[in-house]
Order: sequence, then structure tokens, then C-alpha cells
Amino acid sequence: MITVIIPAVLRGLCGGTAKLVIAATTVDGLLRAVEERCPGFYDRVVEQGHVRPELMFALDGEVVPLALHDTLRSGAEIAIVPAMAGG
Amino acid sequence: MTTVEKPAYSVIGTRPVRPDGVEKVTGKAQYGADIRLSGMIFGRVLRSPHAHARILSIDTSAAEAHPGILAVLTYRDLPAAEDKMEELGESNINVKEASDNVLASDKVLYRGHAIAAVAAASPHVAEEALAKIKVEYEILPAVLDVRDAMREDAPLLNERRFTKSMGGVMSEKPSNIAAHNQFKGGDIDAAFADADVVIEREFTTSMVHQGYIEPQVSTASWNADGTLTIWTSTQGAFAVRGLVAEILRHPVSSIRVVPMEIGGGFGGKLPIYLDPVAALLSKKSGRPVKVSMSRTDVFEATGPTSGTHIRLKMAAKGDRITGVQAVLSYEAGAYPGSAVGAGAMCMLAPYNVENFQLDTYDVVVNRPKTAAYRAPGAPAAAFATESVVDEIARQLKIDPLEFRRKNASRQDTRNVMGVAFPRIGNEETLDAAINSPHYRAPIEGPNRGRGVASGFWFNGGMQSSVVAAVNTDGTINLVEGSTDIGGTRASLAMQLAETLGVAYETIRPVVVDTDSIGHNDVTGGSRTTFASGMAVFEAGMDIRRQMITRAAKLWSCTEDEVVYEDGGLRCLKDSTKELTFKELAAQSARTGGPIVGKASLIARGAGGAFATHIVDVEVDPDTGKVTILRYTAVQDVGTAIHPAYVEGQIQGGVVQGIGWALNEEYFYDESGRMVNSSFLDYRMPTALDVPNIDTIIVEVPNPGHPYGVRGVGEVPIVPPLAAIANAVADATGHRFTALPMSPRKVLEALDGLE
Repeated sequence: MITVIIPAVLRGLCGGTAKLVIAATTVDGLLRAVEERCPGFYDRVVEQGHVRPELMFALDGEVVPLALHDTLRSGAEIAIVPAMAGG
Repeated sequence: MTTVEKPAYSVIGTRPVRPDGVEKVTGKAQYGADIRLSGMIFGRVLRSPHAHARILSIDTSAAEAHPGILAVLTYRDLPAAEDKMEELGESNINVKEASDNVLASDKVLYRGHAIAAVAAASPHVAEEALAKIKVEYEILPAVLDVRDAMREDAPLLNERRFTKSMGGVMSEKPSNIAAHNQFKGGDIDAAFADADVVIEREFTTSMVHQGYIEPQVSTASWNADGTLTIWTSTQGAFAVRGLVAEILRHPVSSIRVVPMEIGGGFGGKLPIYLDPVAALLSKKSGRPVKVSMSRTDVFEATGPTSGTHIRLKMAAKGDRITGVQAVLSYEAGAYPGSAVGAGAMCMLAPYNVENFQLDTYDVVVNRPKTAAYRAPGAPAAAFATESVVDEIARQLKIDPLEFRRKNASRQDTRNVMGVAFPRIGNEETLDAAINSPHYRAPIEGPNRGRGVASGFWFNGGMQSSVVAAVNTDGTINLVEGSTDIGGTRASLAMQLAETLGVAYETIRPVVVDTDSIGHNDVTGGSRTTFASGMAVFEAGMDIRRQMITRAAKLWSCTEDEVVYEDGGLRCLKDSTKELTFKELAAQSARTGGPIVGKASLIARGAGGAFATHIVDVEVDPDTGKVTILRYTAVQDVGTAIHPAYVEGQIQGGVVQGIGWALNEEYFYDESGRMVNSSFLDYRMPTALDVPNIDTIIVEVPNPGHPYGVRGVGEVPIVPPLAAIANAVADATGHRFTALPMSPRKVLEALDGLE
């Protein structure tokens, strides 16, 4: 199971829920499973078959640019965050 | 140095001479300005005198007819680009905006915005021709301040821009607010209702520049066959290649970018400005073209960091921080993309705070598009957080470091993103600060005060490629593609030496062009020693495996019976069979050919870095000048590969933070002209302004790296702003919430003239 933190600005799509625990093995599978519970969620994160360029993921404490096909380990914690870069 | 759980190393932790040192101190190292090519001519760029104007027409006919002019360029020479975000390697860009920032099309959005370029055999002739280009403008009202830009009646930089919020549009009409986001957890209302202490303050910081000593410079040679070579000063040759390819719609494989030695970057040499201009001037003229910036160009037209406005409210109960609410508004400059999100994600990282609501606004203004600057977004946010933390500690009469210790984040603490921290060294850093000679010494004397502050930066991983070729004499050529800014040739060679058990001096590292190695992401995000170090480790292990295979063949045993240790190989079943690294390298031609270790990877497991700083200041009540008396920076670096370069990174970050706190600011007149666009008037600290910066290196190894490396270069700029403000408050009783704390502002505050 994957714990996904729902971004605050998208919690309205999920009835105010901040966190979901979902069975998924890939990023795409996870987002589609969230979509089932939070209609409209998938398209806020994915555009034209790709994760929106302005977004990244915080996966187990590390901010990384994941793709839809990337696999997730069971027990992982993931959040969707704004893209960022260092100096 | 405080060390936790660190293995014994042979090379790591020593302080050898840098491989590029001799070339640099003898003046032989080649920087961008040093390039001289046969037939090379010089480009010059025409820049906007207005902060905001519509371009009605550009007439270049007189310039084209000017004697000696070999090429003239405007936006019409750039391919049309779509107005949408695109993922480009490690960066995301709107190609239309990137293209418009290289050469403006319909509007100029800041003074200094490039409009046209010319090339001639003489730079003076080029400048004469520039003066003949006629641009007709419709001057528009400019908006320079983030709060003004957020007003409903503010002049719009882009009439088609609506406020976005994580994939959705949230404004009903066009706005300068490009994006809003929010981080929220717990019950913020309950936290404030139940608090013993609540403090709310507003903070502002000014736009400041990275101040790298070497201005941008690019030389391009466009060949008749369509291949293009660019020699440039950049933090990322592959990023330049990708961006130029995207803007010019030219095949990536036809572009070779040669990264020259770099005179500083700090994030400011991630974007491109001159490279496409030099390329197209070369294409049009048929000659190699060099284009360089003046210091004024650098200030007016390259990316500084955001000016900010932050409103922050913090609640405490007992000795615990129980809630934080903040609104962060950052100037993005002419196009969206400030680091406000990163600021919000860093600002509470040193603390375990369960109830929070952080709103972020990315706002366009008529200033140059902002760029990354060491821990982008974090220093201004930490200025707000750490100032209020200090005030609460004082009100609760708790030592400010002890208060931070009681509220410190640690492994498994949830950050504002909602996820748990892995192993971090925040508490160890605070402990080292509390026990430091500096903090244990009293601060005495009139008008003197002490301040402390903490900070955090994520650090990055991303893509790296290296190749290590073993020579027959046992020496090794290490080929890498990351610009060496802070001594990474040395730090990578040391990690390879450690992996192979050979002497550091046997390894010759070289940074090569984009045709000569696989992709490397930028030298930024404090990633190179971490990520390229991981690639070096993998390449070293590749070499070890190949040598084991060869030794097994020589000794007619299985690979399982061969051990690689201490830079040599031995056979487990026959103690007479031993070879040194050098002895086996000498036999490479007869054991299977060249021995080459390679690795290309995406480095995951970047460990975040925490820092706590202590500063003593003296405030002159007659002049308002703040003097730094003593400064100690404590930082968890994971493992210090080369401690001298780690100390250098920390000291450099602190000095830049001191400048940000006390002197530096973009100072504009009402028309939007920066009036201090030289190093005479834009006051950066010099060696005369700062004492020796003491460093305390804490080593809590990063479990995500074979040698425990954490990025080093960014977090040292995060705490100084607040640490100095807290020290000034301690010295004067006046809390400054606006930066810089220049002598005039300090004097006005002390005299009650604010």
C-alpha cells in the first residue's frame, strides 16, 4: 500500500481528505486510483500523458521528478509538490 | 569536526591540492573571455531603456548598412515557439518565454531586456551600429514591487496570464499572480486558540544578485554543415545544449557545448541569455562570434533572486511551537517561476510543527526574470521563520538554541509536504552549536549582540555520467561532464581513489564537452559531489570487477577466489598470487584490452542539509553600521570528502548571506531603472567587511550515498539573514523585519525616524 498526501489545493476534490492509502505499483496507477476517489484529480497532475512539468514528487522524504511509469515500493509515502531546482 | 557513525577512510577526509589549482594560480586556465578563434568577430546587444513597453516597430536597416556590420539579429530570426511549459532534461521551461527573454518580440518587460544584436569585426563598430537601430515603443506603466503587482488594478505584464494553482486556473481575470499554492496540515485555528504566545510579523527582503565575479560570455561558431560549437560560462553545458536546441529548433546532436572554467555561478548561470544570440550571429555572418556582458548588463538583464514579502504568524504553548501560518509572495521577475514553493517547503523544516498553513504566490513584476541563487527561496523564508522563533524564545525566556533543540525535527518528523524525513542531522547540528566555543563564550560590551538561526536545503540528485580509463602505468583519467565550481574535480577524484584504494595523485580528472561524455545535469542543487560521486563510485566498482575477472584468468582460479582490497588483488587459495593495481594495469593489453569503468545514473537518496549559525555583531549608534565581530557556521555535511572545500563553501555562503542581510539590494528609480548597477554602488561584502568565518563540520552520513555525502554549497546562505537580524535585535532592542539592514535604515530605526 502507498500513502499519498493530497496537496492542500486539491483536497476539495477529495472531500477535504488530506491523506489516502492506496494499492498501486506505479505513479500512474496511484494517480488513477486517487482519481477514482477524487474525480478531477488526475488531470490536475497529468497533462497530455505526462506529469505536468511544474510538478514533482516528494517520495520517502526526497523531492524527485518521477514519470508515470516509475514504480513505487509498497509502504512508500508520496506527496505532489511544486517543481524546484537548486542553485 | 563532529563525526557520527563514520567509517575509516584512506583518502576521503584528507585535504589534497586541487588538480586544477596550478592552471588557475598561473593564469593558464581558460575562461569564456579567453577564447580567441580565427576570424572571430564581436557581438553587441541592444537593450530596452524602458521597464515596460510595447514594441511597435524595430527598424534595423541603418544598422545593416553600417560599414563593417556582418550580422544583425532580432526576434524575427528566432523560430516561433509555443506558449506552454515543456520538460527539458532537468529543467522545465516555457520556450516562448525563454525565447522572448533572449530577444523580446511584442513587449519589453524590464529595463535591460534584449531587443536586437549586431556583430562586427570590432566591438566599437558593433556599438556604433547598435545606436542606429530604431525601436518605436509604446511606454506602459511599470510595476516593480510584489505587493503592487498583486493589486487588482496593477498594470499587467501579460494580459493573457491567469493565476494557476496546481494544474487548474483559479483567477477569473488576468493577473500578475502567476501561481498560488498551499501547504496545510493539522488544525491551525485550534493551535492559535490554545496558544500561550502568538507573534505575527511582516517581512520584506530586496531583490539581490548572486554577484559572480565573471560576467556571462559566449562564443559560437556555426559551421556550413549545420554543426554548432558554443564555448560558454555555464553551470550546465548539457542544459545549454538542450535550451539552445529548443529555442533554435536545431538538432541536439549538432550542437557541441564546451564548458569553460567558471568565475562563479551560484545558480545564476543555469539560464541562458547570450548563447542563442551568438549562435545566430555566427550563422548569419559565417564567422565565430563572441558576445559578452558588462557588469551593468549582468545586473539588469540576468536573473537575480526574488524580492519577497512574507507575513508570518506563529503560536507556542509551553516550550513548543504549535502552529505557523504564513503567506509568502515572491517576485518572479518578468516571467513566472520564482522559488516561492521551495521557500515554503524549507521554512519549517528545522522544526516539528504539526499545525500549519502556508500560502505561496508567484508574482511577475517588471524586473529581470529571477534565477536560482544558493538554496533558492529558502533564505528569505528562513529570515521570517527564524526571526519569529527568536522572538518567541525571548518572550518565553528560553535560550534560543535550546528552544530550537526542543522543537527540532528529526528522522520521521513530518515536513510541510506531509512526508517523513529520512535520517537527518538537525539535532546533531544544534548540539554542536550549543557546545561550540563561540556559544559558550560571553558576548560583552555596549551595542553588541548575539544572534542564532537555523536553515535547511533539500539537495539534489539527478543525472550524472562518468568514464574512468585505467592507463598501463596505473594512473587513471577520470572524464566527467559537470562544471567544476567548488572543487568537484578533487572531490570526485578522491571518491574514485577511495573506491579503488589507489593514491589520489594517480587520478587525473577532466571536465569535457557535451560530445565527449554522456549526459550530466547541471552543477547546481548541491548535487555534483553527491550524484557524480555516486557515478564515480559505480565506475570504480566497474573497474574492480573487471580487474577481478582478469586476475582470475591470470591465476586460473574463479572470480570468487579473487579479492580486491587496499588497491590490490590477491588469490584466496594461493597466497603467493598477488598483484598491485599498477601491476595488473600494466597487463591490460594481454588480459582483455583497455580497462574502462563507466557509470551513467539518476542519483537518488539525496540527503537534506541542516545548518545553525551563531553571529556576534556591534552596531555603531552614530553611523548605523553593523560590524560582524564573530561568526560560526555549524552544518551537517554527511561526509566531508575534502574538508577544506567544504569549509570554503560554507564560508562563501555565509559571506553572501551577510551581504544580503546588511547591504545588498536592487535599487530602482520610479521609471524602473536600477540605479546601483555596478559593484561600486551595489555593495557586496569584501574581505575587509567580514572576520574569519569559523566552521564546525558535523558528519551524519547520508544513508543514500556510498560515502554518506550530503550536498554542501547551498544551506550556508539560509541562516545568515535571520541570525544577523536576531543579533542586531539583541544589540539594539530593535527588530528589523526588512532587509537590507543598511546603515541608513539602522540609524533611522535607532533614531525613531522609520
